[in-house]
Amino acid sequence: MSAALLEVRALYAGYGELEVLQGVDVRVGAGELVAVLGANGAGKTTLLRAISKVEATPRSGSVVFDGVDLAGLAPQRIVALGLSQIPEGRQLFGELSVEDNLMLGAYRRERGARAESLNRAYELFPSLRARRNHSAASLSGGEQQMLAIGRALMARPRVLMLDEPSTGLAPRVVEQIFTILTRLRSAGTGILLVEQNAFLALRHADRAYVMAHGSVALEGEARTLAADESVRRIYLGAALDEEQTNGKDVT
Amino acid sequence: MIDFVLQLVIAGLTVGSAYALVALGYHVILRATRAINFSQGEFVVLGGLIAYTFVHVLHASPWLGLLGATAAGFALGWIYERIVLRPAARNGDIAVIIATIGCVFILLYGHALIWGSLPQPLPPFTGAQGQALHPGGVAIQEQSLWVFALLAFALFVLWLLFERTTFGKAIRAAAVNPIGAQLVGIDVNAARAASVGIAIALAAFGGTLLGPITLVGGTAGTAIAIKGFVGAVVGGLDSPLGCALGGLAVGVIEKLLAGWLPYQAVDPVVYTLLLFALIVRPQGLLGRRGAVRD
Repeated sequence: MSAALLEVRALYAGYGELEVLQGVDVRVGAGELVAVLGANGAGKTTLLRAISKVEATPRSGSVVFDGVDLAGLAPQRIVALGLSQIPEGRQLFGELSVEDNLMLGAYRRERGARAESLNRAYELFPSLRARRNHSAASLSGGEQQMLAIGRALMARPRVLMLDEPSTGLAPRVVEQIFTILTRLRSAGTGILLVEQNAFLALRHADRAYVMAHGSVALEGEARTLAADESVRRIYLGAALDEEQTNGKDVT
Repeated sequence: MIDFVLQLVIAGLTVGSAYALVALGYHVILRATRAINFSQGEFVVLGGLIAYTFVHVLHASPWLGLLGATAAGFALGWIYERIVLRPAARNGDIAVIIATIGCVFILLYGHALIWGSLPQPLPPFTGAQGQALHPGGVAIQEQSLWVFALLAFALFVLWLLFERTTFGKAIRAAAVNPIGAQLVGIDVNAARAASVGIAIALAAFGGTLLGPITLVGGTAGTAIAIKGFVGAVVGGLDSPLGCALGGLAVGVIEKLLAGWLPYQAVDPVVYTLLLFALIVRPQGLLGRRGAVRD
């Protein structure tokens, strides 16, 4: 295994008085697609929030990105280092244009680099180019997810974290998103993917963690986990049930 | 008769310019912090007093006074966000509103302690005090023309900032979606402080513009704060253009009423307009329903 680009060790984190993560260890290497699975309330979203230091607050443990300890760094410094997140609900700038959303994605980069990245984003998502002057709020759900991905890529992250990018999207769009993630992985980007749809995630991931009650219950090669009888019964079964009841993860 | 009405309209647009700048300040701060800053009017007064200090103590030109007051307004707004609005926000929206009302009195009596409680004169930007032009029988003070021109200039600068610069768009992004803004690397706290800085700079700018016409200092701040608020609500708190036009409209209505009604009747009518707007069209003339809360 290559040296991890993102290394989370014994992370405890939560919101105010509420502690959600109870000592989580996760690593993501360059060019590796790592999935985080688990039931609602297991702490998957909190893990991403605590790494980005947006909303959730780390209490103890460490997050090291490319040899830099993120303790004491503000969220904007973390983005500048090359660690980006596409959050739950996308969190786009609704009243701003598609192009403004993309340009702000490169906010921490020097001015000259923005135009080139913008072109690359439009090549990846031609439908966004056609709607460049429309407001982000006017886009369809699928286009909004494309825009969220495009905006995050404008920062040229070396590790990209995604929180349930498939939620509420048509299968064709989901397939398109995973094609892009696979391409990013080939280009050396590390990907940390939180996903409710465990089958989908395990099909594309190299490795996976299964979280339960704020800590990692299981980890291993995606193929091994997908074949594991107890994982199939407990987690994949649970994930399927949740899909059917249309559950939504809030932690 | 027409001349008399025109005269009142010009006087109304002049004071209305200050209301417009205050209304824009409400808009900018509301968007960034979701609070109404009731001390806005006192910062108008403070801006005029800072310009007064530049002119009468440092013997600078009124133009340098305008620049100094505006820059000082931005700095004071930034500090005000850090030491008043942000800490108060941790205790909820009501705490912020009460804190801004508290600051009205701190500033009001603070001004009086430093500059005395009597209003002070400020020289006009060009020409002699009270000097007027007479195009077609209507008297217009030269300073009124500066007020209109510089209000237009301020609106243009604001438009450039928020529509054409990355920094301005980052401020808007931080206001629309603070979580998304943090995740692209925008310093949301700095964006909020800058927003309040801009709002207070507008207030100080307005106080200096109007100073040569109304004098600076004294207790005018409360009326300016409330009339600017009426303008913002009538025009639409979520619409910059609505705030500017609403402020100007309140100024004109106030002066037209003053042309015929006894002075005690003017303010009640203006505030009835506020009640009317809040009941009949709470989003304002140019605002969208519920836009501020989204």
